[in-house]
Amino acid sequence: MTRLWLDGLQRVARAPLLCLGVYTLTFVTTLPMAFVLHDAITTHLGASLVADAVSQGFDAGWWQEFQYATDGGIVETFGPEVIGFAATLSNLSRAADADLPQGAIASVIVFYVAVWAFLLGGILDRLARQRQVTSAGFFAACGVYFWRFTRLALLVVATYWLLFTIVHPWLFQDVYGALTHNSTVERDAAIVRFSLYFLFGILVAAVTLIFDYAKVRTVVEDRRSMLGAVFASARFVRRRLVSTAYLYLLSALVFVIVVFLYSLAAPSANTSGVTVWLGFAIGQIYVAARLVAKLTLYASQTSFFQSELAHATYVARPQPHWPISPMVEAIAPTPDKS
Amino acid sequence: MFQATQEPTKWFRNSVTVITLFVLWVATPSTQTARSPRNANYSIDITLDHQTRTLRGRELVTWRNTSSQSTAELHFHLYYNAWRNTRSTWMKERLLGRGLSLHNRPESDWGWTDISSISLVGTDDTPATDLTNNANFIAPDDGNPDDQTVLRVQLPHSVSPDETITLEIEWTARVPRTFARTGTIGNYYFIAQWYPKLGVFAEDGWICHQFHTATNFFADYGVYDVRLTVPSEWILGATGQEQRVTDNRDGTATHHYYAEDVHDFAWTTSPDFLDLQDRFEHPELPDVNIRLLLQPEHRDQAERHFEATRQAFKYYGEWFGAYPYDNVTVIDPAWQSSSGGMEYPTLFTSGTRWLAPTTTNGPEQVTVHEAGHQFFYGVIGNNEVEHAWLDEGLNTFATARAVDQYFPHYWERRFFGSFVPWTFTDISWSRALDGSRLARYRSTARMDIQSTPTFQYWPGSMFSTAYYKTTLWLHTLERFLGWDTLRQGMSDYYTRWTFAHPEPQDFFDSINTAAGENLAWFFDQVHGDSAVFDYGIAQVTNQDAAGKGFFRDVFINNESPVMFETMVVVRRYGDGTFPVDVIVEFADGHREVRPWDGRAQWTTFRFEHSARAISAVVDPERVLMLDINYTNNSWTSSPRATTAATKWTLAWIVWLQDLLLTSAFIV
Repeated sequence: MTRLWLDGLQRVARAPLLCLGVYTLTFVTTLPMAFVLHDAITTHLGASLVADAVSQGFDAGWWQEFQYATDGGIVETFGPEVIGFAATLSNLSRAADADLPQGAIASVIVFYVAVWAFLLGGILDRLARQRQVTSAGFFAACGVYFWRFTRLALLVVATYWLLFTIVHPWLFQDVYGALTHNSTVERDAAIVRFSLYFLFGILVAAVTLIFDYAKVRTVVEDRRSMLGAVFASARFVRRRLVSTAYLYLLSALVFVIVVFLYSLAAPSANTSGVTVWLGFAIGQIYVAARLVAKLTLYASQTSFFQSELAHATYVARPQPHWPISPMVEAIAPTPDKS
Repeated sequence: MFQATQEPTKWFRNSVTVITLFVLWVATPSTQTARSPRNANYSIDITLDHQTRTLRGRELVTWRNTSSQSTAELHFHLYYNAWRNTRSTWMKERLLGRGLSLHNRPESDWGWTDISSISLVGTDDTPATDLTNNANFIAPDDGNPDDQTVLRVQLPHSVSPDETITLEIEWTARVPRTFARTGTIGNYYFIAQWYPKLGVFAEDGWICHQFHTATNFFADYGVYDVRLTVPSEWILGATGQEQRVTDNRDGTATHHYYAEDVHDFAWTTSPDFLDLQDRFEHPELPDVNIRLLLQPEHRDQAERHFEATRQAFKYYGEWFGAYPYDNVTVIDPAWQSSSGGMEYPTLFTSGTRWLAPTTTNGPEQVTVHEAGHQFFYGVIGNNEVEHAWLDEGLNTFATARAVDQYFPHYWERRFFGSFVPWTFTDISWSRALDGSRLARYRSTARMDIQSTPTFQYWPGSMFSTAYYKTTLWLHTLERFLGWDTLRQGMSDYYTRWTFAHPEPQDFFDSINTAAGENLAWFFDQVHGDSAVFDYGIAQVTNQDAAGKGFFRDVFINNESPVMFETMVVVRRYGDGTFPVDVIVEFADGHREVRPWDGRAQWTTFRFEHSARAISAVVDPERVLMLDINYTNNSWTSSPRATTAATKWTLAWIVWLQDLLLTSAFIV
């Protein structure tokens, strides 16, 4: 399995433009809201001397005034949680507690996930074929699988909705509440809560695993029925439970290592001048590492599936080509003359 | 009106003997001179039945009328009845402030007090009189017919000034799952406001308010002689000093506690406590024994509790006056007991978490605060129901000051169901902000006028108006008058009103005396009004002092002026007024300070100097801690807003990227 993971990493390494593309997407998606926040901070500080302190570190007094004066919106998401590793911790915590983002941030997330869903066909196709493709070929593949993955997305969204709005509240309100209602020892309650996180994590991982292989099978086997792909994926995972779980855990371990390293290198609040940009650069390296880890998971799962039920680089569907445009046809030699 | 009388226990049958002994005891001078009026004295026998969570009690309350008026009735608090049903005033107010979270509790969670009998104890000349049928519930504050938290007892004759009477009351109480401050969970009990407690009879009648969500308590000082029977292996802590423990050989033990010159009595019991001892010693202050009843899971935080208590006694003692008792009991409440952070005479509950990093002041802040209440609440017995700011506000101010002297002070957030703490060691709280008090005051600044009786505050604004606003205006006074002057005023107030019931004006008088001036103009705004303070620099202009344009038909256009005229417009955006300084700095480093009485809506300061002004600040030392918007207090010719915005936007981008990646695990 480690060999497969390494194979996945190699496939990703051989697709640098793919990495650059998803990084660019992750960066560009943040920009519209970033400009809004930048403008709000600039406007609130105006010509105040307080800006000196704010540019040096986190001025709690100013931040409280800012929050009060700007009255909600994107500004609500700006707080001490954005500083360094606290950002990672708070986001993981929100996910674990199903504290789903609201308002503008929720719409940004929906947009980002939708674009990923669109690109996924091209990404998996590229990682499965292990051949360079032109951007036209990449987006053609995206187009080929778009409606299939849209249908799959309905299943995915319905399943996660079930997990996060039905199962999660049941576990963390009803079950947790019943188990800790009369507890007078916080440590015991913490153990219960983290056990439930573990249980819920297994559920989410199992669902994710099945949907991951459903996507891989859709691309590698050119499947049209997404329901069929999900069942086939479940069958595949069930018959190779240890291997698929091991590969997944290996990727999870890589994620943990990336997060741990970031916790050591994450910037503090007290930066100014060049150290601000250095901190941002460290943040971007962290983001890039997480993206590579995510792509490596896809690539290694694809590699595993191909090694089991196909062969390396096998993709059932012929590589899609972008149709020749009328303009090219007009100026190119006629086929029977060539 | 009352439930059937309970079957009397053996010690009830010996009541005549006990009454005689008690009357003799009350009549006998204490070995120590009484420090308080001791006009409400209690001898109580109470038994806890853990299986049914029931208290069975009997008390002898001896009351002396210290007013100049006679009265033919007594008013008692029955606080537990606030949690008898959803129609009590407490529950209705809770609904206003915090919704229905407590309203849907199961049957087992509710609590109440039922009086079994009340009788006027006889003397040599008069026989005992049964007053059970002379009692009825009243609702002096809101007329709520369903509220049973105040019981009026009609007496067969008036009690004249300085006359003493003794009543015997028998009651049972069901201990609730804690709604607020008192109750039980598992085998942890924190029992406060649990016995029929007399109100305070003042010149214009009884002060015995119903139980409200926004208020604490008010009672007269006295002597408490209490025998508490609980399961024999359980550890018990209470107000006062333990005299002895008697094993009853029936699985119970009786703990005898005695306290002098206190105005309330609270206790706790649980088999799980760690029972620890330490001592406060100071070269100029009396020693105090500190007993800590700690939850086992907080074993490694014992010293933090002791140290916080010692530091509180040190600073409060040095600043205001000595703690007059020789012991204090610190209770570390059980998790989910909702009894943390509450003060009682010679006993208080602190509060901490299982994971409490030393870089934050988790147990320290609350421990210092509640230890501080031993001074402003315990020793100074102001009416908390009507003037909560007199103890909560003063104490919150002193807590912030004490914590700032000694303890680390970093921002903390909790993640993963609030179990995992994360300390921002690069974000240090400054005392200038007093934690988040300014932020919380800012959002509710106009919600209530502080001089409104506290029990009439909007339930959601009590903390802001009584705690935080007072802290901020006291901090303003500290900066305006100087700490020595303010400390002298507070110390004078403490000394003058020890074991008494001061009113707000008494505090103002002490501060005025120390300041050597009448600060009514300030108190009227912060206490008698909901005025909001906000000063700001509205405009700064630099121009050639010689002027430009036509002067006596000669056009002047000096390209290189040698003198500049700087105009600084300062505006008062709020309705509160306060004298402030305005400081202007010029490009050559020269500074000028101008005072302003702050009364006009706006004013202009004019400077002539050889360089341009590069910055201006109103209230540069931030004396006016109540200023709700300090960002607008300054202006600079070289603003760095864009730099600051870029720094934090970049950090925010990484946060959002991380959130996107975390959320995108589904694809």
